[in-house]
Parts: sequence; C-alpha cells; structure tokens
Amino acid sequence: MGGRSFETERIALRALDPDDAAPLHSYLNDDAVLGRRYVPGSVRDAEPLSRSHVAGILEEWGKEKTGFTLGVLAKASGRLIGHATCEWPWDPHCPSISLVIAPSEQRAGYGSEVVRLLVAHLFLDTPAHTITGWIASWNEPALAFAAAHGFAECGRIPRAGVRNGSYYEQVVVDLLRREWTARQGGSHAA
Amino acid sequence: MPLEGDLVVLREERRGDQKLFAEWRNDLATQAWGQSLPPSFTEEMHVKRFEAMEFSFKPAGARLPIVHKATGEVAGYIAYTDLEPRLSASIGLVVAKAFWGTRVGLDAQETLLRFLFSELGLRVVHLWTHSGNPRAVGLAEKSGFRITVRIREAVYKNGKLLDTLAMSLTRDDYYARRPELTDALPDPVRVLRGA
Repeated sequence: MGGRSFETERIALRALDPDDAAPLHSYLNDDAVLGRRYVPGSVRDAEPLSRSHVAGILEEWGKEKTGFTLGVLAKASGRLIGHATCEWPWDPHCPSISLVIAPSEQRAGYGSEVVRLLVAHLFLDTPAHTITGWIASWNEPALAFAAAHGFAECGRIPRAGVRNGSYYEQVVVDLLRREWTARQGGSHAA
Repeated sequence: MPLEGDLVVLREERRGDQKLFAEWRNDLATQAWGQSLPPSFTEEMHVKRFEAMEFSFKPAGARLPIVHKATGEVAGYIAYTDLEPRLSASIGLVVAKAFWGTRVGLDAQETLLRFLFSELGLRVVHLWTHSGNPRAVGLAEKSGFRITVRIREAVYKNGKLLDTLAMSLTRDDYYARRPELTDALPDPVRVLRGA
C-alpha cells in the first residue's frame, strides 16, 4: 500500500517536527480555532495553549500507531498553515479524518485540497470502506464544507459540550467508498 | 452502600474475576466488540491488566462485575468509560450467556444509570453498538436510550456489513421516565437562561 503523493500544486502534507511548534502555537491559539483544534491531550479544546502544551501535542502525534497527523505546508511561502489527521482507533475499515487550517489562510481552497488528498489516500491506499468526520454543531462552515465534499450527516450526539451558554451536539458525517468513487466519475483505476 | 439493584449487585473487580473475563472475551457472542477478536486472550493477560490498575480518586471509568444476588454468581460486567465529569460517559455491558433473558442485564444497566445520573450528575450517557446486535439495542431502549447516530456500513462482522450505532440517554429523559426520582441538580444551561 502507499506511494501516493501527498501534495498538490499549492500545498504539501508532511510529517510534523518540533520546529513546527511556533506556527502551531500561533494558530491553535487563534480565537477562530478555539473549540475545533482537533488535537490530542488532556487540555480542553477551548482554553489557551502554552508552548509546553504544544510540545506535548507534537509528541503525542509522533507516537500515533493507529493513524497519522500531517502538517499542511503552503508551498509558495513555505509556511505551516494547518494540520490534518487520519485515525482508525478500532478498525481501518472505518477511519475518521479531521482538518484545521490557520484562520489567516482560510477561504483560499487549501482545506478542499487537503481533504481530497486524505480521502484519496484512504480509499486508494488503505482498506477504508466508510470515512467519518466529527464536527461540533455550532461549526456551520465545517458542516457545509463536509457536505460539499460528499459527506452525509448520519446523526448527532447530544450534550457533546457547552459553548456560549448552550449545549451543542457532535455531528457525525460519513462517506462510503462507492459514493466517493461515483463522485470521481464511476471508477478509479490505480 | 453498594450499587444494588433488584436482582444484582455491582461490585469492584477482583483478581478471581479474570478467568471469566477471558472466557467472555474469547466468545464471539459475548466479546461485545465492533470488531471480532480471536479466541487468544488468557486469564494471565487479564490478571496483568488487573494488576496494572492504579488507585485514583478521579477515575475516567470503571468496570463492575455483575453479581446475581440469588445465586452469588458473576453474571457479567458493566462498565463506564470516557467520563467527562458532570457531563457524559459511555457504558458497555457483557452478560454471560447463562443469564441471557433473565433481566439481569437490564437491572445492571438501571443500577449503573442511577449511579451515573444521581451520584455523578452526568447530563447524558451514551453507548455504542451495531445494527447486528438487536439484543443490545432493545435492552438500551428499555432504559430510554435512543439511537442518535447511525454510521453506515462501519462494521464488518459475522460476514455482514453493519452500521455502527450510537445511542444516548439525556438526563432530562432519564428523570422524565422515572417519576419516582427527583432531580435536584440544576441544569447549568437552564440556569443561565432563567428557566
């Protein structure tokens, strides 16, 4: 398995290193990313992160055994502009993906390029049959983004957390291999 | 005061339980897993896991053997995991085949739910199963759980593609179904809204 390029004309997905701590620390503490950081660890998702928190996050990503997290590099600037994770804690039959783009780089189409690369990798290079995404119900741009990429809502987990004085739900979306293949034009020869 | 229901007592895990745990883990019908496991688990493996457990006043979960009061036998175990204090947890249940159809599972589930809502003050309890396990779905529905998520074809088991199911029981629904219980814990969100 493997061998597919993790890059497009504008971006490259690459492994993260300790040197990435500074840009990661910067965009993870941006208000627009609070609550949807998709990072491991015991730090809650909506509170400020210290540099040592970020070092711990990088260390955890380096230990992943049932998944991987890659940095999103903008080729033109050479800057780290986000991170993306694929993981299958139970079964590679049903992995999940998540994606964060630094707020200053959003609405430029980078996220779409990342999700296309990850979904292609999972369906063409792994046994994945169903890919899921997990999105807070208040994150309407992410819900629209998932729908635009063919993911269908398959339910909402109630009382996922509290934000701005209200409970929110965890929206689960899925995409089947055959649906993705149909979106590509009906077949996908390697 | 132990966690006691009409038919069962939920107690702490003991070294002597590990042989039964290994047996249930090695049986496709009782391993309660979204992915089938080989019958390669030994009592010694389970004892090692048991001995590695550490004392904590802030456990993220617990696995509680179900003791059948009438016979004293261990009839299965029930667990909660992924505890988010004062918010949520997920439960899982394994009942030995000899006790299927005896209401032991339902009594254990009700006993643990009472602890999670009345003692830990959770706002919601979840469980995960799959569409090939109608016994688990039916048991959960008897306690008021509703299917909230159906991830399509996410499980391959017993030669079939099955849906992963998430089922949830909110605190509101739990108390609404049990009028004999009173909920004295204010809902933090309702307090904010003045409701």
